[in-house]
Amino acid sequence: MATRNPHRQTFWLIAAGAFVLLLSLLLVSPAGAEPPAQETEKYCLSCHGDTDLSMTLPSGEVLSLYISQDNLDHSVHSSKGIECEACHNDITTFPHPELKYQSARELSRAFYQTCEKCHSANYQKAQDSMHAQAAEAGNLDAPICTDCHGAHDVRPPDEPRSLISETCRQCHTEIVDTYRQSVHGAALMADENPDVPVCTDCHGVHNIQDPRTAQFRVAEPELCAGCHANAELMGKYGLSSDVYSIYKHSWHGVDISVYKAKWPTIWHDSAVCSDCHGIHDIRSTDDPLSKVNPDNLLTTCQQCHPSAGPNWTDAWTGHNEISLERTPFLFYVEKFYTSFTPFVLWACIIYVVLQIIRATVDRVRRNLQ
Amino acid sequence: MSGKRKNTPGTVRPQEVQHEKTFPRFSLAQRWEHAILLLSGLVLLLTGLPQKYREFSISQDLLSTPDRIELIRQIHHIAAVVLALEVAYHLGRIIYLMAKRRLPGDLLPTWQDVRDAGQMLQYLLFLRSDKPKFGRYNFEQKVTYWFLFFGVLIMGISGLIIWFPIQFTKFLPGGVVPAAKLAHSTEAVVAAIFIIVWHVYHVHVERTNLSMFTGRLSEEEMRIFHEKEYERLTSQSASKARPGEKK
Repeated sequence: MATRNPHRQTFWLIAAGAFVLLLSLLLVSPAGAEPPAQETEKYCLSCHGDTDLSMTLPSGEVLSLYISQDNLDHSVHSSKGIECEACHNDITTFPHPELKYQSARELSRAFYQTCEKCHSANYQKAQDSMHAQAAEAGNLDAPICTDCHGAHDVRPPDEPRSLISETCRQCHTEIVDTYRQSVHGAALMADENPDVPVCTDCHGVHNIQDPRTAQFRVAEPELCAGCHANAELMGKYGLSSDVYSIYKHSWHGVDISVYKAKWPTIWHDSAVCSDCHGIHDIRSTDDPLSKVNPDNLLTTCQQCHPSAGPNWTDAWTGHNEISLERTPFLFYVEKFYTSFTPFVLWACIIYVVLQIIRATVDRVRRNLQ
Repeated sequence: MSGKRKNTPGTVRPQEVQHEKTFPRFSLAQRWEHAILLLSGLVLLLTGLPQKYREFSISQDLLSTPDRIELIRQIHHIAAVVLALEVAYHLGRIIYLMAKRRLPGDLLPTWQDVRDAGQMLQYLLFLRSDKPKFGRYNFEQKVTYWFLFFGVLIMGISGLIIWFPIQFTKFLPGGVVPAAKLAHSTEAVVAAIFIIVWHVYHVHVERTNLSMFTGRLSEEEMRIFHEKEYERLTSQSASKARPGEKK
């Protein structure tokens, strides 16, 4: 192999590849284009297809240099004609330039930067993420592109949808396991339900932010409302889509909306969705393990109202419209004021206007006399 | 009673100051009660409305920091305590006077008030040419008193419940808390509408009636607006003694 002139070979290979690509563009057939030629890949795999190929890094780690043809075949890149040198752009020939990395992690952290070349928007987003901040703070294990997407085997990250939770589970094991017991996670795991949120729906994809901040907290009701205020979506599951609009007018909700508008960075204890319903462990209200199951509701209220007694839970009108059955006191007070308020307003106005008219007429008559 | 109190200039036309007789109407204590009600009510309204309409930007400008919310709540609570003390005094005095059988019944609603209201309505609709003759308190003034009497009662009870919800639900059903909150916040607006439209019109627009501050009514005011009371006090016909007033 070393006797070949790889420069010339590469040139011809690229020229041939370009020709084939050009040809395929010209001869687009309804049956679908031919898979792009993978000449470089073949060339690289002539060495890297060897399962025993490896090297020892200065850290002592043994770095396998084997690249599986199968992985490449299934990756999104290879099938689109994006070949080895697209990422390994420091390698043009054999022998390769010497690797200057001390450890495998250092190597990964250097190589993932080539993702920016094509995926600059997502790459920049990831640089603003909590993961990037963790890395800046010195945690080199904080995930980089390849930790979630893979390196040589980059595949669609959401096929199937539950793969997303599996990806996060590599590090966030406990949380994902809790999530999978929740009403959302169970539906996802059972039949790849397309409606339930997966990790990224709430936490974001590349610019994942710290969910423990005041900002995240005050924005949370709107986050949940993204689905739970959608009548069509909620109708599928027999759920009310008024939960958010009613919450917004509740004691808790008004407080939160003021803080969101005025002081989003100041922590406020008024309850948001997750305080009562749980975070990764959200369950159906009927579930005996749900924090908002009628049997557990008082305990949940007591998180913030420790001295509340058993009657207290009825003070919470729930996410329900006012009704005679559920909230009789509120029902009658509301009924009274819906007629009393306009009655007082109109009675006062009409009476006063009549008085003004009569007084004016009297005055005019007196002056005419 | 402050019958010895001097007639305050400015309440009647200057050229008549020397001659016009005045009639005592409100005692100093009653006027103080009114002043306390007015001031505490105003403070309660001004500190309550921004809490009710929190989503309005003007409220949010007023409550520009979380500390301000706490402050405004404290002011609201202090004003509420002041008003509660005033109500306690008022009710205590009523009970005391009732026990002594000395409670004047002038403010109690009677069938005459209903008839007066009917007549007044006819007058306002040009079905009559004269206003009804009123006694010490006309039906409009009685409506004002009783409307605010029950209004303050509702505000006080509902306000206490939402101030101490946990304590109240120890012995009351939980449902009273949201009901009290709705009642408190709605009754406040109803009372404000009532005072601004009804009361302010009657004491400032229809005529400037400052007897609640001066304690006295002029003879002319007595003749025109409280004919029966005038006749009762002076034993002379108000209409005869009413110069230039068209019947």
